Amino acid sequence: MMTRSVGTAYLGLLVLASGCDGWKTPSGPPASIDAELRQSLGGWSVVPIGATPVQAAALVDLGQALMFDKVLSGNRDIACATCHNPVTHAADGLALSVGTGGSGLGPSRTLGPGRQFVPRNAPTLLNAGLGAFYLFLDGRVSGFRSGPFQTPAGVVLPSGLPTLLAAQAMFPVTNREEMRGAPGDRDRFGNPNELAELGDSDFVSVWQAVMRRLLAIPEYVSKFNAAFPQTPTSQLGFQHAATAIAAFETQALTKTDSPFDRYLQHDDAALTAEQKRGALLFFGDKARCASCHGGPLLGGGDFANAGVPQLGPGTGRDAPLDLGRGELFNQSGYRFAFRATPLRNVELTAPYMHDGAFPTLEAVLHHYNDVPRALREYDASQLPPALQPMYHGDEATISAVLANVDGRLSRPLGLSDVEIRELVAFLQSLTDPSARDLSSLVPARVPSGLPVQE
Amino acid sequence: MSHDAGAGRTLPLGVFSAAGSWYGGLALALQQVDASHLGSSSVNTPVAFDTGFRLTGQLAPSVQDLSPGPRSHGNALAFVMIGTTLPASGLSVGGSVRWAKLRAVDGVDLLYPGSTRVDQSGATVDARLGLLKEWAGDQSLEAVVLHERFRMTHDVTFLDAFWDPGTQQFLQSPRLVHDHDFTKRWGLQLKYERPLTASGWRIGWLATANRISQPDTPNLDLLNIPQDPGHAAAYELGVGVSRTYGPSLFGMDVVYQPIWSTAWAEAGTPAATLGSDTSRFHFSNVLFRMGVSREVTLGPLTRTAALQLGLVVRSVHYDLAQRDDVDATTRHLEESWLEWTPTWGLSLRFPELELRYRGLVTHGTDRLVTPSNQFVTNPADLRPGFFPSPGLSMTLDGVHVVTHQVSVSFPLR
Repeated sequence: MMTRSVGTAYLGLLVLASGCDGWKTPSGPPASIDAELRQSLGGWSVVPIGATPVQAAALVDLGQALMFDKVLSGNRDIACATCHNPVTHAADGLALSVGTGGSGLGPSRTLGPGRQFVPRNAPTLLNAGLGAFYLFLDGRVSGFRSGPFQTPAGVVLPSGLPTLLAAQAMFPVTNREEMRGAPGDRDRFGNPNELAELGDSDFVSVWQAVMRRLLAIPEYVSKFNAAFPQTPTSQLGFQHAATAIAAFETQALTKTDSPFDRYLQHDDAALTAEQKRGALLFFGDKARCASCHGGPLLGGGDFANAGVPQLGPGTGRDAPLDLGRGELFNQSGYRFAFRATPLRNVELTAPYMHDGAFPTLEAVLHHYNDVPRALREYDASQLPPALQPMYHGDEATISAVLANVDGRLSRPLGLSDVEIRELVAFLQSLTDPSARDLSSLVPARVPSGLPVQE
Repeated sequence: MSHDAGAGRTLPLGVFSAAGSWYGGLALALQQVDASHLGSSSVNTPVAFDTGFRLTGQLAPSVQDLSPGPRSHGNALAFVMIGTTLPASGLSVGGSVRWAKLRAVDGVDLLYPGSTRVDQSGATVDARLGLLKEWAGDQSLEAVVLHERFRMTHDVTFLDAFWDPGTQQFLQSPRLVHDHDFTKRWGLQLKYERPLTASGWRIGWLATANRISQPDTPNLDLLNIPQDPGHAAAYELGVGVSRTYGPSLFGMDVVYQPIWSTAWAEAGTPAATLGSDTSRFHFSNVLFRMGVSREVTLGPLTRTAALQLGLVVRSVHYDLAQRDDVDATTRHLEESWLEWTPTWGLSLRFPELELRYRGLVTHGTDRLVTPSNQFVTNPADLRPGFFPSPGLSMTLDGVHVVTHQVSVSFPLR
């Protein structure tokens, strides 16, 4: 057995662990770019996703109806699909979403009178059905498929939710800005909004109230009975609705047949040379993207303070700032940290980051290339006019963000413009062509009779 | 330690006796060490992020307990020494043995980020033989030979997340890592001191040589060093002066501590190398200490009281040059930092009792901070090659270490 030498001293373990800046380019003989890239990929457990398990048709049918039906919202004016519209790739194209009270769809959607932006960008639901461990940008819903799930509802979360995505689907209807509305609101017909009168922590009552609305519509009763034939109507709860919504998302919005996925299945011609060079940067030591965006989903399992400009009304005790995961109980170490988003189809889901601060992938990569400088020099004019006054570019905020910025981004990466273009090219290779036009997923009508696309 | 980075308490009890030219002592101590608090796992369970294709979700038979281990563990220590003086020759000869049963070595928990529990067990034995030669004119030479054996095992439980392509979900599986840490050390230290002038100045020199071999080292996730055997040579060379001025004493010394270390990883399968093994790890540390003390007579109940103040400054610098002769890759690291430790002390000597207090606080040290509830990408396990990229999101958090030491001495009749 041959041996290899490497110098070390047990005494310096902790320091060694932090000192990761001395990596040198391998000095061995040059390999083909495919061999080099495949070796890099092997280190990050990047695997092709494969075919999505087929969901029960009745479940998907119910989930599609619920996804597009505004009857789930307190004011009957917004559906899940308003902010996660297939036409805009299961997102809304806005930097910060516009919740209940707003009007319009997609990037042209506008705030209603007296309403405020939702504090965060609406993440795409593309591939949300793939079982990430964390959902929501702050990961406040988390867990393995086998459960238990950690959610804001704690122990009152109903049992029987089959996936984390189904658990996540329980919560937008409880959020006042997104779907539930404010006390005193009246719905689109001028009737009192009974959901808005319930307490913020009374999740169970909100879910029950939504179910009363749904089960008052005969067509929904039929759909629920078809989707859950073993469950008597009297025992149906909102967890069944959430299960159906998640099934629809999984069936319709899982899009993983990208050129990169074909490359992972050993089709060397699936990527262009520029995309391969970008992939080498992505999975290599210079750009280090894969240290957050690794694994089968190319992200989703980690949180990082990427030094993103603070924008919007903020949330929680520190509003108008948004501390992200750091706002959660006992998570102060994660100040300004947000989930590293899975990247398949990222080309289609601008604007980017937790508050949509960057309109293009190029802008994101320029930011990552030198986070401290980019944050200080952030140009708020790239934001929509309504959001420009809500940019928090004061020195105190910037210093607070940079004080806790992820160590991987605290110093410049040193990417050239050419390398940034190569990285963008690689990110574009993550697009499943079938995700480009999802308009066929929009149903013509929903059981409540409320308008679908307005 | 600050920032809830750990703590420890030691309760020693010792006796010392002399009979004729012989003397000896025995000490026992119980010690409790608290692990660092890495944050709450109340929101999410800490898991490692192993995304390899593994389709078993069964509990590994070797994993007995997935519950978080207790934060505190205890160590037990025993010390015996015996010696004799040979007045005619000016020689004193002594020997000592220290034995410790260890279940909690400080900081080990930090070496396994993402683990759910770390169970340590092991022992250390330290044997010393000393010789003191005194000459007229208050000169002395002291020599100590040391042999130490340190053996620990770390049973580390991880809960790994892995990707199940069938369900397209992450699943969770426990994993038990069984690591060994075995170190042998031989050392020799020489100290010589003598008066410098008639005005109360003294000067001393110090030289130490240690040879350390490590047949086993832990396979740490923090590093890319598999269970490597290795060896190190550590030296000291120092000089110090002191001066007595009435009831006051002043002293200072400076010690240079170079360390060279080499370790190697045995390839799992025969591997072709491209050249000689040329990796080196070199520490170049400097220690500076100074202190003053003053004795005063307080009154009829006390013979004397003494106040001590001191400062220790330690400069640590190392550079590491690693070479993987299989993949022909290299890495170079250079790090340095400064630690400074103010100390203070008070002694009260009564006719039948002596009370001592010593305090110190060390600044400039860091503790590893790894968020406990994030996925930990661990390419050390996954990535081919010898130098995986750092996938772990790690930061070092500056902490200070405060130590209070109280001792009570009294004669046994």
